[in-house]
Amino acid sequence: MPLLVLAALATTVAAVDFNRDVRPILSDRCYPCHGPDGGNRKTAMRLDDEAAAKSQLKSKKFPIVAGKPDDSEIYKRIITDSPGLRMPPAYNGHPKLDAKAIATIKQWIEEGATYQSHWSFIPPKRQSNQNIDRLVRARLEAMGMKPSPQASKETLIRRVSFDLTGLPPTPEETADFVDGKVTYEQVVDRLLASPRYAERMAIRWLEAARYADTNGYQTDGVRDMYRYRDWVIEAFDKNQPFDKFSIEQIAGDMLPNATLNQKIASAFHRNHRTTAEGGIVDEEWRVEYVADRAETTSTVFLGLTFGCARCHDHKYDPLKQKEFYSLFAFFNNVPEKGFVYNFGNERPLIKAPTPPQQQMWSQLKADRDRAKQNWLNVQPRVDAAQRKWEAKIAKGNTDWTSTDKLELDAHLFTDTKFDGKRVVNYGETTAKFNHRDPYTMSVWVKPETRDGAILTRTEDYMEGTGYGLYVMNGKLRYHYNFRWTDLGMRVESKQDLKQGEWQHITVTYDGGMYTEGVHLYIDGKEVEMNVLFNSNLWPMSHKAPLRLGQGAGLDFKGEIRNPRIWSREMSAREVSAIALNDTLSAIAAKKDRTPAEQAKLDLAYREQYLPAELEAFQTAARKAQEDLDKFEAKLPTVMVMEEGPQRDAFVLVRGAYDNHGEKVSPATPAALHAWKPEWPRNRLGLAQWITSRDNPLTARVTVNRFWQMLFGTGLVKTVEDFGSQGEIPVQQDLLDWLAVEFMDNGWNVKGILKTIVMSETYKQSSKVPADNRDPENRLLARGPRGRLSSEMIRDQALAVSGLLVEKQGGPSVKPYQPKGLWQELTSGEEYKPDKGEGLYRRSLYSYWRRTIAPPSMVNFDSATREVCTVRENRTNTPLQALNLMNDETYLEASRKLAERVIQDPAPLERAFLLTLGRRPSAKEKQILETSFAKFQQRFSNDTQAAEKLLAIGESKTQSNAKPADLAALMSVASMILNLDEAITKQ
Amino acid sequence: MTNLTRRHFLAQTVTGAAAFAQLSGLPTHPAKAKRIIYLFQSGGPSQLESFDYKPELVKHAGKDLPESVRKGQRLTAMSATQLAFPMVASKFGFQQHGKSGAWVSELFPHTAKVIDDLCIVRSLHTEAINHDPAVTFLQTGSQIAGRPSFGAWISYGLGAETKELPAFCVLISPGQGGSGQPLYDRLWGSGFLPTRYQGIKFRSVGDPVLYLSDPAGYTRDDRRTYLDGLNALNKEQLEATGDPEISTRMAQYEMAFRMQASVPELTDLSKEPESSLSLYGPDVKKPGTFAANCLLARRLAERGVRFIQLYHRDWDHHGGLVAGMPKRALETDQPAAGLLQDLKQRGMLDDTLVVWGGEFGRTVYCQGRLTATEYGRDHHPRCFTVWMAGGGVKPGMVYGETDDFSYNIVKDPVHVHDFQATLLHLLGVDHTKLTYKFQGRHFRLTDVHGHVVKELLA
Repeated sequence: MPLLVLAALATTVAAVDFNRDVRPILSDRCYPCHGPDGGNRKTAMRLDDEAAAKSQLKSKKFPIVAGKPDDSEIYKRIITDSPGLRMPPAYNGHPKLDAKAIATIKQWIEEGATYQSHWSFIPPKRQSNQNIDRLVRARLEAMGMKPSPQASKETLIRRVSFDLTGLPPTPEETADFVDGKVTYEQVVDRLLASPRYAERMAIRWLEAARYADTNGYQTDGVRDMYRYRDWVIEAFDKNQPFDKFSIEQIAGDMLPNATLNQKIASAFHRNHRTTAEGGIVDEEWRVEYVADRAETTSTVFLGLTFGCARCHDHKYDPLKQKEFYSLFAFFNNVPEKGFVYNFGNERPLIKAPTPPQQQMWSQLKADRDRAKQNWLNVQPRVDAAQRKWEAKIAKGNTDWTSTDKLELDAHLFTDTKFDGKRVVNYGETTAKFNHRDPYTMSVWVKPETRDGAILTRTEDYMEGTGYGLYVMNGKLRYHYNFRWTDLGMRVESKQDLKQGEWQHITVTYDGGMYTEGVHLYIDGKEVEMNVLFNSNLWPMSHKAPLRLGQGAGLDFKGEIRNPRIWSREMSAREVSAIALNDTLSAIAAKKDRTPAEQAKLDLAYREQYLPAELEAFQTAARKAQEDLDKFEAKLPTVMVMEEGPQRDAFVLVRGAYDNHGEKVSPATPAALHAWKPEWPRNRLGLAQWITSRDNPLTARVTVNRFWQMLFGTGLVKTVEDFGSQGEIPVQQDLLDWLAVEFMDNGWNVKGILKTIVMSETYKQSSKVPADNRDPENRLLARGPRGRLSSEMIRDQALAVSGLLVEKQGGPSVKPYQPKGLWQELTSGEEYKPDKGEGLYRRSLYSYWRRTIAPPSMVNFDSATREVCTVRENRTNTPLQALNLMNDETYLEASRKLAERVIQDPAPLERAFLLTLGRRPSAKEKQILETSFAKFQQRFSNDTQAAEKLLAIGESKTQSNAKPADLAALMSVASMILNLDEAITKQ
Repeated sequence: MTNLTRRHFLAQTVTGAAAFAQLSGLPTHPAKAKRIIYLFQSGGPSQLESFDYKPELVKHAGKDLPESVRKGQRLTAMSATQLAFPMVASKFGFQQHGKSGAWVSELFPHTAKVIDDLCIVRSLHTEAINHDPAVTFLQTGSQIAGRPSFGAWISYGLGAETKELPAFCVLISPGQGGSGQPLYDRLWGSGFLPTRYQGIKFRSVGDPVLYLSDPAGYTRDDRRTYLDGLNALNKEQLEATGDPEISTRMAQYEMAFRMQASVPELTDLSKEPESSLSLYGPDVKKPGTFAANCLLARRLAERGVRFIQLYHRDWDHHGGLVAGMPKRALETDQPAAGLLQDLKQRGMLDDTLVVWGGEFGRTVYCQGRLTATEYGRDHHPRCFTVWMAGGGVKPGMVYGETDDFSYNIVKDPVHVHDFQATLLHLLGVDHTKLTYKFQGRHFRLTDVHGHVVKELLA
């Protein structure tokens, strides 16, 4: 708080108030050693606990004797000049309390040394017959200050349009309001009903939710969470009550019969950063993710810096380390890994189709079901036809192997001997699969070695990259390694392969990157496996050829014949069929057939011998299935929360992941409201606890963020910290009134925002008075004023130039960005800006790479999306000036703005009006005209320069104006977009 | 004006990089170093092939690292599944150099020539075993991203000495032909400090500073015409509203205009005499190389930049160390030594602290394939080597000792927080006094740890 206001406050108040005056001193200067942190308390004396502070110490002294400062040890110790005694400890270099603080402590003890619970832990009470303006004005009056008159209508509509939609009003909207065609309330209602409102609200929430398009940390792989962003936008659009909004994000997956949307909402707690850096310790990072969820939950919903209690008891607030891990325990049961997939979403994830996709999906499923049923319906005819065919081939010598996606069928029936030196090489391009490709490999082997390579496509040493079938330790082995140490799958059969006997072996892989999708078969029967290693894979490029009898540094002794490879995952039934030695004819001749034998006949017949009329049914069923599969593969997914088996949670000593202390169970901090027995002790219960009417924090914290959004600063400036180190609310009665109003109206977000923007307090002029007693406007004697946020600045330029493409939701887009930014830091893929509409969408859709964030957003103080951020910052730097003057985005917008107005009788005024919502004064007009004339002169003398300037940006120039005129107008348009007023909400 | 408001005023009006504004109470003591040039070797250069000579290893070559040495030390997940841990000695020879008699490997012949200017610390140790947390730890004092970087702390605490340039500049070079570990903007970010304290990246492609160049078709005169108009309009608004933020903004546009001239002048090496160019080796004329960046670092130092952070990438030799490490050494050895000589010749080494080093060391045992001619080494947090020069450190010093395996420190360990505390001390800052209140806590670069290593001070 500014010094002047503080001083003013002090003079108006006689009695010392513990929460306002004393706690900040004790908290900041005494609690580190005499506060809630048991581990760090230097002596038995503690000052955060009233009973303890007033009890006799072992030394017979009393820390505090109510009414008697001179008998109170703490007072004696803060005033003494003896360096050995003086507190805060002079011998540790801590400065003395200042005279004012000492006087406050003295007065407080004299007045009885009353303690109060921390203000924010006491639930707000309803204040009848109050409203924003009464409360603000009563306070102003007490301070001898007066409110400001209402802002001009032009100013007001621009202010409220930015505040509620993030975009400026059009000149027509402004004119209607100024001319009295619409009332202010009608304007507000129109803005709140606009889809732009939801986008504007979403961006701040996404920053709190640490939403991004990449994982963060070193490898910073991609993820795809836009369906969560869509959900947030939709929730604001529909004005979902904030309590429901919260519950669904914390525990949407656990709601009874959770809908797809509720599951998508739970992605909130999968938005945290994840890592795929080689060599990390999985558990260390899994713990990090869980801790992030606990910290984010406390910041966003409770306004508490619970993260401080991760390594030790909180030093200032009554939050124990054990309580942090009890909160942590709620988030600890997600079946997840610390080391994540680097090329897309990590499990748990769900398919998250958009509503049109859902419709299409149902349609395709119905089509598939129908085609499948039609095919089933003709089975009696197929069977009858098959029996005739069987009789016919029984006499011949017909055989079959599936040719459906057959990649290799090397006969190799006679020359089967492998002596440890022999290798059959099928080349680099045969059966070249990547990590997400399903396949089936099968071969007959007769091993005469307990360790050997059978069929491989892998580099030639054990840890090499690639896949292969082996005999190792006598067992059947399958490896698929990207990197031996941490990226791969390795399984072995529980049973041994028989030495010196022919056996048929098969591996099938579903392309899913985990051993759950791998099956091993010996002689057509699936065998049990030991999973030796199971992690995801990375895309591979290596040059090892497909080989028989060699790979991974091994050779083979024994015999091998007829390797076959299909680029699809076979079912167990198919594998049973392809493992048979008997020919089709031999099987057809049998009367008693095994299920595998029958399968071979069935499959062969259906694949190759169906009459055309029946084949059509099979083809249709198959195509319908393929269409469905293809569609499903392209559906967006989103990472969501899922409750797996309960994991034990522990206090982590000093926060170290592997240093387990006491075991804890899910619980909320004792200093806050009580847990109700009807709530389940899980995440869903936690969500109910958070949105409970008894919670003193969530409503206050939320309305305070709304206040920050509208006024630039919260009523509690430390929007992230409502604890004792945070700011005491500058006007608690107002904050409490808003919080109660919010809850009483069913946590109605649009409702509370309307209440605020309809207030006279909000509508005041923001002109700064000459005798400015309150530079930060904490007492609200004037309206809000401040620089626009990063995304509003860009969105405005797109809007006023006519470039903005308004389209709600969908995947992220890539607007302009200076070349080379990704490459210089990663050597990897370079950023490729979109073409066309992707360049002109609202900034909340811009692709956000965590480790290399969009520079033009970061320049204007956007949150970095690394961790939950709720505080809005505004700085004023030369890089911002360079950005606005020279970035392709703003230059193109300037040209388009020029093109838009050049036909206007007064183009300069029109550009000014479009951007600022008002007409220029005579003086301003003259400045604009002078600048234009100078540029026009200059570009007339150098048309080439004009043409170069006009060539900037992907969009084509659609004006026939003379280049010199247009370039001059573009220069002035750029000046207008660079005006302080243009990037300021006033 | 009180200190607070004066500081606020200056920080807001001059550069946004907080030129001149120092935190009240800083410096806490006279500074030995006015600035730091930090030559960060990203990826973790092997101490075993550079400055930590272990002749005994030849005897142990190929044998597994004894458990008595490893003592259950946690391994990266990359080594944890490794089939064996055969020790391997440096393929590169070592010799003693200078009056100090310090051992330097043959990969660093130029550094060896300036050895008596160096203060080598062989006993640095860290807590992290992977790149991201380890680099983050060294640069921000915490393994978990989110804290301000070293340079941001410095520009917040000590402000800038120049009106023309930011207080904290960053220069990046890739290992040529290699790829190297990615870097991330937050390594020079301001964390929870205001963004004006973040490092400004000087780039070798495109604009040296993002958005620096005027658009095609614009001359300096055009920009002046533009700014004159803009200023006149802003002035109107200032008068109408009384908002002091507007005068700040006008000053920022003027600062931007000056930067548009001063930065190109800075990066234009055409007036550098051949005698100084040759100190940095042949790469110096190729923009974006480590050599070119070392020369730029000197030019930034001359112009009053407080913290100059270089990154050279691709020291992460899990495999192929014998082929790879000489390339990195070749790219960095002469430029780093040349920078020291250049600074010395200009009398700037006394108050410029130069630091060379990575985020951790490498293991004595081989990782990946051990062949007759090639090997690799995994990350090793328990000991690694950095060197410093100038700016108040003891020249010709070798500090700290490791065991015969360069695995454990046996004498004078220096924790990362101690190292940070020592660098801050040289800048005239008591590391416990440089704090910023965030989320209710007074944060420091050194967290709640760190001791100045007095033995390293001249």
